[in-house]
Amino acid sequence: MYKTESQWLLALFLLLAGTSATARDRISPDEWLERMSAAVATINYEGTVIRRQNGEAQALKVVHKVVDGVVNEKVITQEGNGLEIIRIGNEVHCILPDKKSVLVEQWNDRSTLFSTLPSSEVSFGSEYDLSLVREERVAGRPAVLLAIRPHDSLRFGHRVWLDRETAFPLRTELIGTDGEPIEQFKFADISLGSTISEQSLAPSLSLDNFTWYSEPQRVEAADIETDWTCDDLPAGFRVISTKHEKLPGAVAPVTHIVYGDGLATVSVFIAGKQEQEIARRSSIGASSSFSLQTDDYQITAVGEVPAETVQRIASSMRQE
Amino acid sequence: MNDALKMQISAFVDGELPENESELLLRRLSQDQSLRHQAAEYLQIGRLIRREREVPGMGDLRTRIAAALGEQPVESPARAEQPKSRLLKPAAGFAVAASVAVVALVVLRQVDVPGTGELPNQSAANVEAPAGQAAGYTEPLPAEALTGRPGEMLTQYYLSHGATSADLGANGILTRLVALELREEELVGTDANPAEANDPTGTPDDDAEGSADDSTRADNP
Repeated sequence: MYKTESQWLLALFLLLAGTSATARDRISPDEWLERMSAAVATINYEGTVIRRQNGEAQALKVVHKVVDGVVNEKVITQEGNGLEIIRIGNEVHCILPDKKSVLVEQWNDRSTLFSTLPSSEVSFGSEYDLSLVREERVAGRPAVLLAIRPHDSLRFGHRVWLDRETAFPLRTELIGTDGEPIEQFKFADISLGSTISEQSLAPSLSLDNFTWYSEPQRVEAADIETDWTCDDLPAGFRVISTKHEKLPGAVAPVTHIVYGDGLATVSVFIAGKQEQEIARRSSIGASSSFSLQTDDYQITAVGEVPAETVQRIASSMRQE
Repeated sequence: MNDALKMQISAFVDGELPENESELLLRRLSQDQSLRHQAAEYLQIGRLIRREREVPGMGDLRTRIAAALGEQPVESPARAEQPKSRLLKPAAGFAVAASVAVVALVVLRQVDVPGTGELPNQSAANVEAPAGQAAGYTEPLPAEALTGRPGEMLTQYYLSHGATSADLGANGILTRLVALELREEELVGTDANPAEANDPTGTPDDDAEGSADDSTRADNP
């Protein structure tokens, strides 16, 4: 059938390529997200990350290693004051070389480098659509682009480029209601599965004579029952938790209700009426807030959602 | 204080207010204590936003503002005295977090004031650099310069929400940098260098003893 060896090899290559493509095509978008979650939790990597937000770019060197399930990570900014963030488990040291200072924080174990990664636990179909868009190269590696599109303008969308081989996220974008990226995050270069030495996770400078700061502790009560409810909650959002929380500097505890739709979260804080009103609207990064005063209460909603959403939620809080 | 007056103070602090309007504003400052405090606050915000940059004419303006405030002139960032002691002063927390803010490329927009309910103008337009400044440099419009920090309560809400998001697995290091930026005035000094007990940063052991003695402690801001 094949006249020459080269023809035979070509046929074999095409057959294997076709098989590989077929297998790849069989992976559903949901499976890609599941693979991504596993990859983020287990793969060691190091590389250079470019983060874009508010029209500005920032380069970061990142080293990440998982030892017995514990995350060891170092992030060094490549511009400005050379901030270093070193993390082992949930203890994080933020080193500020120019201030000769170190901030010590306790972060959640599940926090990752990525601030906009969707969870594989999201139930798609109701509020968001998940689809495979195309294949592209990111950081020199073949990647598949997943798009998460919201059904309304009350939440942000996501685009995630996953490494075709490992499903590791090489690039992520948080998409605003106008279709433009609010925050972008991508590897310019990356080494996946590399051997990472202890030394590469240590501070790059001596911390002698540095001043150490720790964050104040938040006092958080257990979940409580509340008679507060939102009577115009956007579709798909549900109550995740309700707590009384004593915030640093506050006289009385506030009621803190968290709503989520599987991707986005919104916190609603209900405090007694305050003499000092706070900003009605504000935003920081992808987070927005909206605050209003009733006769007896100050109600503030904060979340990584469009401004319209926090306003709608805060404005529709009622006591049953 | 209305928005127009805020804009005027901001333009004044930025050296962009015409001479005749400046004189009027200075007269008003001398008669209104709350206005003086507001101007001082904006001056401080302007310093933080500009960090190491100096705007032509700012020296004179600072002197005039200080005179109106009845206080000592505010030093320019370039001339500001660096802490000589290892024991940071209470303000150090503010400076620390401010530097984090720049690193994190965070832009906080307090987009309207209590009670107005007007939709914000969120444009990030810039004006051309004043003469004599480096090419490509742009000075934020007064409206941007006015964007300050949220109130203490709102700051706490952002921090609390950020921690909650992390609990839900929807947060990350880069987002947490935003929280660091908001921590400025609430940093508290540790009793000792945590590296002594548990060294997650991997500081060499042979330095540990010396570090313990040298390790500095911050006053509670």
